[in-house]
Amino acid sequence: MAENKDIILSVKDLEVKFKVRDRVLTAIRNISMDFEKGQVVAIVGESGSGKSVFTKTFTGMLDSNGKVTNGEIWFEGQNLCEIKKESDWEKIRGRKIATVFQDPMTSLNPVRTIGYQISEVIIKHQGKSKEEAKKEAISLMERVGIYNAAQRYDEYPFMYSGGMRQRIVIAIALACRPEILICDEPTTALDVTIQAQIIHLIKDLAKEYGFTTIYITHDLGVVANVADRVAVMYAGQIIEYGLVEEIFYDPKHPYTWGLLSSLPQLGEKGNELFAIRGTPPSLFEKVIGDAFAPRSDYAMQIDFEEEPPFFEVSPTHFAKTWLLDPRAPKVEAPATIRNLHDKMVRLTAKGGIYGEH
Amino acid sequence: MKKYILIRILKSIVSIFMVVSIVLAMIYTMIPTTKVFEQDPAFRRLSGSDAIFYRYNKLDELGYLDNMTMDDMCRESSDDYAACMISDSEENLRVLQVYEDKGYTIERLVKYQNPDDTSEATVDYIAHYDYNAFQIIFNFWTNLVRVDNSGFVNNTYGKKLSEPVEERYYFGTDQNGVTGLMCSGCRYKYQIYFDGNFPFIHQNIIKLNFGNSFPTNAGVPTMEIISRGQGEQASTEQTFPSGITQTSPYIQTTCEFMPTPDQASLRLFPDQYADCISAYTSPSMIMTSYIFGIASLILVYVIALPFGISMAQHKGKLIDKFGVVVINLLISLPSLALIFFLKYIGSFFGMPDKFPQLGFNDIKSYILPIIILALLSLPSLMMWIRRYMVDQSNADYVKFAKAKGLSQKEIFHKHILKNAIIPIVNGIPGSVILCISGAFITESVFAIPGMGKMLPDSIKVANNNMVITITFILTTLSVLSVLLGDLLMTVVDPRIQLSAKGGD
Repeated sequence: MAENKDIILSVKDLEVKFKVRDRVLTAIRNISMDFEKGQVVAIVGESGSGKSVFTKTFTGMLDSNGKVTNGEIWFEGQNLCEIKKESDWEKIRGRKIATVFQDPMTSLNPVRTIGYQISEVIIKHQGKSKEEAKKEAISLMERVGIYNAAQRYDEYPFMYSGGMRQRIVIAIALACRPEILICDEPTTALDVTIQAQIIHLIKDLAKEYGFTTIYITHDLGVVANVADRVAVMYAGQIIEYGLVEEIFYDPKHPYTWGLLSSLPQLGEKGNELFAIRGTPPSLFEKVIGDAFAPRSDYAMQIDFEEEPPFFEVSPTHFAKTWLLDPRAPKVEAPATIRNLHDKMVRLTAKGGIYGEH
Repeated sequence: MKKYILIRILKSIVSIFMVVSIVLAMIYTMIPTTKVFEQDPAFRRLSGSDAIFYRYNKLDELGYLDNMTMDDMCRESSDDYAACMISDSEENLRVLQVYEDKGYTIERLVKYQNPDDTSEATVDYIAHYDYNAFQIIFNFWTNLVRVDNSGFVNNTYGKKLSEPVEERYYFGTDQNGVTGLMCSGCRYKYQIYFDGNFPFIHQNIIKLNFGNSFPTNAGVPTMEIISRGQGEQASTEQTFPSGITQTSPYIQTTCEFMPTPDQASLRLFPDQYADCISAYTSPSMIMTSYIFGIASLILVYVIALPFGISMAQHKGKLIDKFGVVVINLLISLPSLALIFFLKYIGSFFGMPDKFPQLGFNDIKSYILPIIILALLSLPSLMMWIRRYMVDQSNADYVKFAKAKGLSQKEIFHKHILKNAIIPIVNGIPGSVILCISGAFITESVFAIPGMGKMLPDSIKVANNNMVITITFILTTLSVLSVLLGDLLMTVVDPRIQLSAKGGD
């Protein structure tokens, strides 16, 4: 991976295992990745590919049956994998690395006021008094777009709509001025118009507060709109990593091709939507070779025998596929995504949902 | 909200009405009247027509039927009383016919002067009208609420009084010198008064009339039996309206008008308000049960809340496992076994095995029953608290609270507890109020004079009025506790708003 001086979080050879009814599941298989300060990194992949688990290791929020079995996560000169005590995690969680979860309807405590839930964090992490915390909470509420914030301070979550609750969740996440904001599918539970608003809110706030954003999503539309860099995950590994343009317009891994081809926006009237055939491999068993090989139309003999290394496409673009080996036959990306740029431009020009507002 | 509560109260009243009416109908139609007299010693001593007179008279009092003696009938329906009272005379038979036409059943009673000589006999008639279930229910509800008024004495006892009583309300002082609203001509002398007993302000204006107890404690109003003190009479030195000062157990604020007082009463109460309730050294049945109930309830919550919470907090750890063992043990042990086992253990520590051994004034009498009552209801409360806490700790807001950087302890106390306590809070008014119903087994084992035994005992001896009184009280309090529980829930859970509209 590219060496960069402004790396805020660095993951090396991370491996996470879960114990599920006496069997061991390897959810993350040797991921190494650097996150640059101030960048927006999107992690995409299908359900179960390990996106959430990967980011949960940054805040020590793995479920009790999960464990980091190998690797290092370096953040501010500290290896997060070595943290054992909950009290040490509490200094990282919220204060340094904040998380916004998928469902705003259930993320807030139903019987505590909105104001309480925001100012609680300010009091805890910034050590402010109740009055100061309230003042700051109200200004945060205004910043995330809540009208009449002072009046609505004492209201309960059930009095807020889904979009407003997600704004509050974001306000809580920002209350401690974190270095990194992890957005775990922040818009999945919202309707499209609200989705766009929330995405832009996070984007604006990232610029204003200067935090690094890690997006977890399977919505490639969101990715195209907000991300600087994209990491594609499959079966517990990052299989392609690069700038957003590189991933969208010059993808190299067959899985990324499949993923992009599956964009519903690219479907043509009368034709069936594209879908990647088969199912992901079972993570209970050891994966040999390229995990995507059984589902790939471009699989070679070597894909079933040996795990491919990362091949450098450009200084910012890497892909983990044998197709990039000089000895491999030349293959072209499928026709559907070859001129993705033009298609996307046409889509957004028509007033598509991801157009700038 | 106001409209909702109003509708709820109306619904509650309808429910109470339904329940009590059904119980009334069951008792009065399904229990044979012979059962009522089985336990009555007075009835067993009587025979022949005396027994029949007594029986119908009692049944009339108990509300089964309307009983008319010849005297009543002649007074009511005949112009020639003397002729009417001669058995089998023309007028006598005419009056009987009148009542027979009204639906009364006429019984001819032959009374022999000498049981061996059948020639000399007097004939008497008695008429009775048996109420059906609907009439019984109607009579019960119409007689239930008794409102006192200043015309009471003159209207009720007018014929028997030498001169009419003055009818007026006035402010006076009771034996302790406390001001109260008093009345002349009412049933009760003191209408509103204050004293040192809960709830400190008392009234005699509106009273619930459930009739008298029978056959046990015959003639005493059922409400008085369960609410008056027990044990020995507690006399104090007091000054009576006549100005005489002497030691007496009478509570003057409870005095009722007595139409035919004896000389001793008149000496103390020249105004004839002489039918007073006495003070006793020991608390009433309701109070006794309530003392035990409340004390054990507090003990249960004091133990179960922190224990259940820390079990949830340390799920799967030692304290949780220990708690689960305790819960399982207490639930699986039959309550009788637990009671006798603890009684046995308690005897080593010098605890009395019967309540009356040391009585009301010794703290030792209370310890064992309270611990037993607490242990009986402890496991379920502990289990539910743990369950609600564990359920809540898997909620998304807990995950987010953790991501906010809150500690486990903060999450439990500031977030989970308030959510988990909601269903528990709902049941608290019920537990507090229904303490008065007593605990049957524990009270029986320790011979505690409380409410627990009252209902089964009353059913056993067919003390109908008592059964209905207790049914009414328990029904009302249950309905009330549910309502209070719901109201309390709106306090702890902002999402719940009681509204009269359907839908949400």
